[in-house]
Amino acid sequence: MFLSKYISEVFGGVKSLLTGMRRTGYYFTHHKNIITQQYPNQKPVLAERFRGEVVMTHDENNEHACTGCTACELACPNGTIKIVTKFDITPEGKKKKAIDTFVYHLELCTMCNLCVDACPTGAITMSNSFEHSVFDRSELTKVLNKPGSKIREGVE
Amino acid sequence: MEFSLASIADSIDQWLNAHCASWLALTIEFVIVGVLCIGLFAVLGLVLIMMERKVSAYMQLRLGPNRVGPKGMFQTVADTLKLLVKEGLTPAGADKFLFNLAPFVVMIASMLVLAPIAFAKDFVIWDVNIGVLYVSAVSSIGVIGILMAGWASNNKYSLLGAMRSGAQIVSYELSAGLSILTIVIFSQDMSISSIINSQQDGWWIFKGHIPVIISFVIFIIAVTAETNRAPFDLAEAESELTAGFHTEYSGMKFALFFLAEYVNIFIVCAIGATLYLGGWMPLHIGNWEAFNHIMDYIPSSVWFLGKTFFLIFVIMWFRWTFPRLRIDQLLNLEWKYLLPISMFNLLLATLVAIQGWYF
Amino acid sequence: MLSVNAYSIIFYLLAAFIIGNGVLAMTTRKIFRAAIFLLFSLIGVAGLYFWMHVEFVAAVQVIVYVGGIVVLIIFSIFLTQQTGKDMPRPTNTRMIFSALAAILGAALTYSLIRQYGFIGGSGDQFNVSPQRIGDQMLDYQDTGYALPFEVISILLLAAMIGCIVIALKSKPQES
Repeated sequence: MFLSKYISEVFGGVKSLLTGMRRTGYYFTHHKNIITQQYPNQKPVLAERFRGEVVMTHDENNEHACTGCTACELACPNGTIKIVTKFDITPEGKKKKAIDTFVYHLELCTMCNLCVDACPTGAITMSNSFEHSVFDRSELTKVLNKPGSKIREGVE
Repeated sequence: MEFSLASIADSIDQWLNAHCASWLALTIEFVIVGVLCIGLFAVLGLVLIMMERKVSAYMQLRLGPNRVGPKGMFQTVADTLKLLVKEGLTPAGADKFLFNLAPFVVMIASMLVLAPIAFAKDFVIWDVNIGVLYVSAVSSIGVIGILMAGWASNNKYSLLGAMRSGAQIVSYELSAGLSILTIVIFSQDMSISSIINSQQDGWWIFKGHIPVIISFVIFIIAVTAETNRAPFDLAEAESELTAGFHTEYSGMKFALFFLAEYVNIFIVCAIGATLYLGGWMPLHIGNWEAFNHIMDYIPSSVWFLGKTFFLIFVIMWFRWTFPRLRIDQLLNLEWKYLLPISMFNLLLATLVAIQGWYF
Repeated sequence: MLSVNAYSIIFYLLAAFIIGNGVLAMTTRKIFRAAIFLLFSLIGVAGLYFWMHVEFVAAVQVIVYVGGIVVLIIFSIFLTQQTGKDMPRPTNTRMIFSALAAILGAALTYSLIRQYGFIGGSGDQFNVSPQRIGDQMLDYQDTGYALPFEVISILLLAAMIGCIVIALKSKPQES
């Protein structure tokens, strides 16, 4: 019937509004579980998967896992990575391809994670750092392999 | 002497009349009242905006402003200073005269409504005998200012915002008026002072039970819509209309619109507190002499402000809970739900009043 | 005497405000401005009612004219006119006829005033409480206004039903 439907609609509406107000009222009175992180005073809690920038992991012997295969360079959609390779002479006297410099343009990077996925040896990862602001743009062009580092034994 | 605003006003009046001619005393009193009104507006703007930001923050589990001054208390002062020094732009295609006039019309309309509000016992600017009718009449001038702003800006968003606001205010004035009428039926008078005096032995929301509670709910919804606040803020729906009727305004002219919005909230909440919660009347229960006497120790101005700010808090609570309505939903709510219900409620209230079924 | 003087000064100020805004409403070429000046003129009339201490009539004037009629006028301007365009000049024939109508109206008013003159007020203020107005309005005795009140309400009801009938969408034919 029309009238009973109308009345039940009104009461249903009022009830749903009150439900919403109860929720916000609960939040208003329970001030302890605030989610604001006061950033400069307080280090923000970031998710593990947060993508801040691409880094190359080095172990304690200053060795990395990058073979210079340029898979990441090819995977990058906007030319962020530039790998300069050189030829090392192995103890056996053979020539072996290795990286000279791993150039990373942070200013072009969209943090899409494709390079990390493409890397066959797991040499590069995404780090959690996010404070990237600098005074000059050229500071954003980074060399990821540390000076004097070399490829880890056994990584092909 | 007991502290009360009325006694202060009386002693100033006596002192002035003793020291200067009566016309000069009257003029000085006019000036004092005007300055007090403007001062009240400025303070209200600062306090209410701060309150809104804190309430919204707490309801969304945030902190809100917390940098300027202790707990961010001076944030609104800083905002006001920023608005004061900003340039007030007038667009080239605008109707300059109306464009500059509109914020003042809105402001003056809300200033005029302040006149019959009783801030404390015997402390009222103009106790006009048509009290609540005056309020609902004068508050309708404000919509003209909004329409003016929307048209004069020469901007499609502004025009759309103004039209929405006009349709909204004209419709919701009906149910606001009808719910005010319910109280007029019970208290048998329209002047603010006699409505308050009729609540000597209990506030209307307790004495008038069902019809008054229904009309209170309708009143709160209707005034939320009339002051263009969320969930009824279609006039300035930022996701659709940039900023609605004040898209083109900047600097102090924008600040006047902003201020008028908050002052209007204060005014409608003060009217709601007066009609339903007894204005400055302390919480009295029937003939409990001892209890009533204890309640009388709290100054009447504190009662009035407490009730008003409670209602303001409820309206803010609405804003931070409910999503915005669409324009057709808005008009449906008014014409298909609020208006029929308030008309039926008016009949019910008349029946209850004639039969004497209230306390 | 000063209070009397202040009283009449306020009257002349209000009268000048009403007439000035009326003239502006007539002479402006922007239609929205004309509506706004008309509005100010009507507010001035409401002010005059306040000055006469008939607050109820003043409030009704504001509600009906400012809150209702002028808002509707502005709405129709919004829906039909373009912003910022001046209205076209009226044609000469129309100018002549409106001038004639204005002159005749002024002559009629002048002759009436000359014939009867202004009678000074009795001096005592109106004392109309809303209760008395309400009683009078619903009084069905000889002095009451219950009948005209009801007649007008039926007229308005008829107008409202007419509006609904005109605005009603005809249902699409089921085929």
